Amino acid sequence: MGSPRIACLLLPLFPLAARLRSEPELAQEALVTVAGNGNAARVVAATRLARTAGVRPGVTLIQARALCPKLVARPRDEECERAAQECLLEVADGFSPRVEDAGEGIVYLDVEGLERHYSGPSPELDLGRSLMRAAEADSLPARVGIASSKLAARVAAGLPEPPVIVPAGEEASFLAPLPLHRLCPEVEIAETLERWGVRSVGDFASLPPSRVMSRLGRTGRELHATARGIDPCPLIPREPSPVFHEGMSLEWPLVSLEPFLFASRAALDRLCQRLESRGFACIRLGLELRLEPDGHQSRSIDLPAPTHDAKTLLTLLRLDLEARPPGAPVAGFTLLGYPDRPRQAQLSLYGPAALSPDKLATTLARLFALLGPGRVGSPRPLDGHLPERFALVDFSPPPPPEVRREPRAGRGLLAVRALRPPVEIEVLTGGADPQADPIPVEIRTPANGAAAKRPRIEGAIKVASGPWGLEEEWWAGDPIRRDYWDVELSGRGLYRIYRERATGVWYADGIYD
Amino acid sequence: MAEPLARETLMEPPAGSVGPAAWRPRSPLSEALRLRLRSARELQRQLQDAAGAGAFPTAVPAFDRLLDGGLPRGHLVELVGSRTSGRFSILLAALAAGTSAGETVALVDLGDGLDPGAALGAGIDLESLLWVRPSTLTHALAATEMLIAGGFPLVALDLGQPPVRGGRGVEAAWLRLARAARSHDSALLVSTPYRVSGTAAVAVLKAARGRAAWWGGGGSPRLLASVASQVELEKYRGRLPRGSEDLALALAGAPRPSAKAAPRPRPRIREHRPEVSYLQAVG
Repeated sequence: MGSPRIACLLLPLFPLAARLRSEPELAQEALVTVAGNGNAARVVAATRLARTAGVRPGVTLIQARALCPKLVARPRDEECERAAQECLLEVADGFSPRVEDAGEGIVYLDVEGLERHYSGPSPELDLGRSLMRAAEADSLPARVGIASSKLAARVAAGLPEPPVIVPAGEEASFLAPLPLHRLCPEVEIAETLERWGVRSVGDFASLPPSRVMSRLGRTGRELHATARGIDPCPLIPREPSPVFHEGMSLEWPLVSLEPFLFASRAALDRLCQRLESRGFACIRLGLELRLEPDGHQSRSIDLPAPTHDAKTLLTLLRLDLEARPPGAPVAGFTLLGYPDRPRQAQLSLYGPAALSPDKLATTLARLFALLGPGRVGSPRPLDGHLPERFALVDFSPPPPPEVRREPRAGRGLLAVRALRPPVEIEVLTGGADPQADPIPVEIRTPANGAAAKRPRIEGAIKVASGPWGLEEEWWAGDPIRRDYWDVELSGRGLYRIYRERATGVWYADGIYD
Repeated sequence: MAEPLARETLMEPPAGSVGPAAWRPRSPLSEALRLRLRSARELQRQLQDAAGAGAFPTAVPAFDRLLDGGLPRGHLVELVGSRTSGRFSILLAALAAGTSAGETVALVDLGDGLDPGAALGAGIDLESLLWVRPSTLTHALAATEMLIAGGFPLVALDLGQPPVRGGRGVEAAWLRLARAARSHDSALLVSTPYRVSGTAAVAVLKAARGRAAWWGGGGSPRLLASVASQVELEKYRGRLPRGSEDLALALAGAPRPSAKAAPRPRPRIREHRPEVSYLQAVG
């Protein structure tokens, strides 16, 4: 077994790159990211335009503004950086299943054997270029280095003209001329080595390991191994995150919906793009709001079917925020996309055309957004005798038959059009004993405001058929006992009406139509 | 002869054109020639219509006969009827026919009148039926357009019973729906208590109020057996309407009546003594 090959994806000026990914319109500005507040704010990273004006990392924001009056400053944004790091990891996931998250814009991936997919004269170079192109497609200007140790790969990624390939076994000689601070030693060890006169990585690597161990301890031994091109710990693959995050801190707190939706639209676009590029769709959209002056609010929107249509998700977000406003200014937000496999369908040559799963998911989500919950789905009757009972389940149509079928011959059945909720009516009754055994004679609509919006049912009853008794939930405290009648009004249609035995109130709950 | 003409038409932009985007291959042709030209899609639809392949059978013989085979794909058909005219039964039968053929269908139910048990009884495969329950006509029209754009081959829009929430809607909305149905090749059936779609409908059918037939008589209990109605073709774009057809609808479990055999209710003398004129069935 040969030495492992490790690629390092490095995002230089990580806080700045993460910010520019969220706000690409600032790419042409003299932009700096700062850490700290007020007079203590110091520049962490600066764009080329700002650096040209003399702004360097470490200077205060006031000094930077004095150097470059048109400077645009943004604070370090945890949400932007988390999303950028996740995105960088996803780029690496697209190449290798073994990916280590080293944080702060650094990702290691095991690329052992991947060079076989590239047939050029230098396959690893092609692999490195592919990695850079993939990162660039996600708005991440990453650099790539490939070596047999993580440190060598990391150092190679930081060199100009990436990708830089360190041949296997040449890590020690590659690292030897580099200054010692490239190993990032602890301050105490760095001072000791300084006193010893060790200046470069090569000087340190040439020391005998046993002596280094006896003088500098375990930490020194690991540092010494690193200097010789040997990783002290192997690559530790990470568990892929089950949720996709996108978000940002807002420059100032927002109190109205439209500006917030404008800001979240870009984040939703990025989220959907990431989901789609990994072959996922969003089944649940979470939203975490950071409120001013303090406090958080979380909410989630369940979707009827997985979708990666940003427009639909934005509509759902708008409706949810309109229904439940946050109640305080919003200072930042995080969108959480819960991934699910999009519905798949096999097209048929001879059967009816199947609905496109993507289109169906989008249509369902848009209908859901338009009409709200409980208004879209596939109907199901429920057990029991009450005709008004039904259930709506998620719509997931079966695949169409492989061969087109002829429709079944119609049975010519008369259907009942349900009146939902039942219309309260006044019924004049007759019969031998109208109190104990009432027979409907005439129907009138009660004169109240609600009746104006319901179908008007009134007239003399021509034929009445009934009563058909219905009893349900007799075991419960409030049993349902009804007497149903089919009645034909003179020239005004055929209805299904019932009388509540307990109250004696009459309702019409269906029209034969 | 056609080849040089096509080459000339396609390769040379017409004189005075503002740019390639404004150039249309048909524009430099003479009026007579342009009217005879058809795109591939138009030709395919004409051929389908001619062969009757564009129709969506509803499995209601009277309805299918009037429409020459069923609901035409790519068109809006309006079915008008008052209470107990059988239009909801026709709508359910059309949906049942669609699902039995393996199609996925949608019902936009503004009146919220669907009883899932009754739909199951009518033969609808509920798994293939998307039930949409809007609360206003505006939402109903928007939902219908979304469903058509979503690729549903058969969409039924039922406006329920008057008063319809939202009135008749604007004609532009119906024209838009008709255009959507045309471009997505969907069959759109609009069931309404009164005319709403104006010129957008390719065909308009009117169902008359049905006559109920009852089993039993005299001193025996009465049972609802069937409803007999008549469907009239009021309009069919490009053709002369072909009159009307009888429609017979039976209750589930009752013997299936024929349209002509549907018994006409006996004229009854209304009396003010209900215990004499109305019969009670013991449930």
